[in-house]
Amino acid sequence: MTWLVWRQHRQQLLAAAIAMLAVALFLVPTGRQMHAAFDELGLRGCLPGASPSEFLTSDDGCASLSEQFSGRFQGLATTSLLLLFLPVVAGMFWGAPLVAREVEHGTHRLVWTQGVTRLRWATVKLALVGGGVVLVAAAYALLVGWWVAPLNDATGYRFTWLFFDQQGPVLVGYAVFAFALGVLVGTLTGKVLPAMAITLGGFLATRVAVALLVRPRFLPYQRRTYPTISGSPAEPNQLAGDWVISRGVYSVQGVKLTPGSGSQALCDQTSAPRCVAKYGVGAYNQELFQPADRFWLFQGIETALFVALAVVLLVLAVHLVRRRVA
Amino acid sequence: MSAAVEATGLGKRYRRTWALRDCTLAIPQGRIAALVGPNGAGKTTLLHLAVGLLAPTAGAIRVLGQTPGRDPDLLGRVGFVAQDAPLYGDLNGAEHLRLGVELNRRFDQTLARDRLERLGVPLDRRVDRLSGGQRAQVALAMALAKRPELLLLDEPVASLDPLARREFLQALMGSVAEQGLTVVLSSHLLADLERVCDYLIVLQAARVQLLGSVDELLERHKLLVGPRRDPARVSGVAAVVRATHTDRQSTLLVRTDGPGRDPALAVEDVTLEDLVLAYLADPSAGALPGPTAAPAHDRLGAQA
Repeated sequence: MTWLVWRQHRQQLLAAAIAMLAVALFLVPTGRQMHAAFDELGLRGCLPGASPSEFLTSDDGCASLSEQFSGRFQGLATTSLLLLFLPVVAGMFWGAPLVAREVEHGTHRLVWTQGVTRLRWATVKLALVGGGVVLVAAAYALLVGWWVAPLNDATGYRFTWLFFDQQGPVLVGYAVFAFALGVLVGTLTGKVLPAMAITLGGFLATRVAVALLVRPRFLPYQRRTYPTISGSPAEPNQLAGDWVISRGVYSVQGVKLTPGSGSQALCDQTSAPRCVAKYGVGAYNQELFQPADRFWLFQGIETALFVALAVVLLVLAVHLVRRRVA
Repeated sequence: MSAAVEATGLGKRYRRTWALRDCTLAIPQGRIAALVGPNGAGKTTLLHLAVGLLAPTAGAIRVLGQTPGRDPDLLGRVGFVAQDAPLYGDLNGAEHLRLGVELNRRFDQTLARDRLERLGVPLDRRVDRLSGGQRAQVALAMALAKRPELLLLDEPVASLDPLARREFLQALMGSVAEQGLTVVLSSHLLADLERVCDYLIVLQAARVQLLGSVDELLERHKLLVGPRRDPARVSGVAAVVRATHTDRQSTLLVRTDGPGRDPALAVEDVTLEDLVLAYLADPSAGALPGPTAAPAHDRLGAQA
């Protein structure tokens, strides 16, 4: 059985190795550049890491260094967003064909009538191929973790949308989930191409829904208020790495005055009348956020969530394989 | 004698359509049974139920005394070649035999290898580069290497040219003689199987229409030829299966009850092909007499 799995999936493994190599050819040189620039700019000494100041005034040197760094690597960070799609490949190319290809070619009638029950066939196959997915995803997560470290530190963005999604153990969770979704959809459709398409759509929909609707509520928000008018205006330090979910100006009665979720008002003594004119006396800024030290906890919760979903989908798939109309 | 395949009121429904219905039969061990019927009659469904690829919607089926689809042991005792002999296109013959070894407790690789070498099937070539006949031989060799007690073949010769058909059936018969197993093979053409089978099951429109050992069926059916007459008024027959008339002459294919025939009619033997065609031409003609080998059957499946 192990031999059969190896024989049937060795090409996929080879393809995965080649894809990993291609990704590494992009990540390793650019990562070295970033690490070098990070040291060169002296960002390491400037960012205290452990306890960054909560608020940032405009004369903070770190901010300008950080801006220099971000300016230089913005294009790269944007390009790397393409890597967000990498986990779905596990679902489309490893998961979807696993059962669908057998059914499409009729070979399930050959392999399910040998002296091995479908339950055993399915569990061995899923365990071995799924194990491969975990290993490849883990290797990738380590690589990208090294690559993204300077960006994390220099921008403080690692907890925010898209940055959170492309690093850490969640990558393994996403890959396993994509694989499981592919297997289940392939079992349901019995056709490889539709299964791949549905897997892609289903994966993206689930990811977006979790990222936008569920993840911000893993734990209750924290709230931070700061004045609209002060002698030396200071805004919350983005480099602290908090995940700011919404921000706005509130009246003294606590009514939100600004539309959207990204506004703040910062006035010094000279511009104070403008702020008063616009928002009234006693207005303040308020921010809802998830604090930076919850990053790993959130990674853990999200990973567990996707792994749990994957387990449910796989159990369903095995059940269907056993009952499938052949 | 215990039956290799025994079905009681067996039925399989896909959504609203019954692919097989009220199927009650017993195929005795050691027979080579032909499963014949037009396309869509339920042949594949019956075979898939027997090998456990499908679960029945109604009734029950027992194969070698066990319920299929539950026990890996039974899977090992039944050889099955699905329609179109599915194989992994990117694996070669030798790898298919390795697959058989890996997936079966009992798999006689030497037997399969020798057999394919004797037939000139190259084992080192990807099977999608083999001819249809060679692929069918690989699939059959895999099924036989399990040294099964029951061999189920779904349309094994449909994709083969006439010469390959003959070779395939000859090779099959050789092995059957060696291994002494029960075989059920399906075809929509009786002519494919007539020379090799000694038991017959005719399926039509999801139901069993004719069932029994070939010898007995031939003995119990006769062709009566004589002056033109009303088929309803022929004495000494159980049923007229088919009647054809010219101006002066009637030809009746009848099921007999025994001696006592109309002396005015000449009696001729029927061929198996005539018999099957006569039944298939008239879906309402049913004949499920109890051949001695199996308990008496009733079309409605009432069986003790």
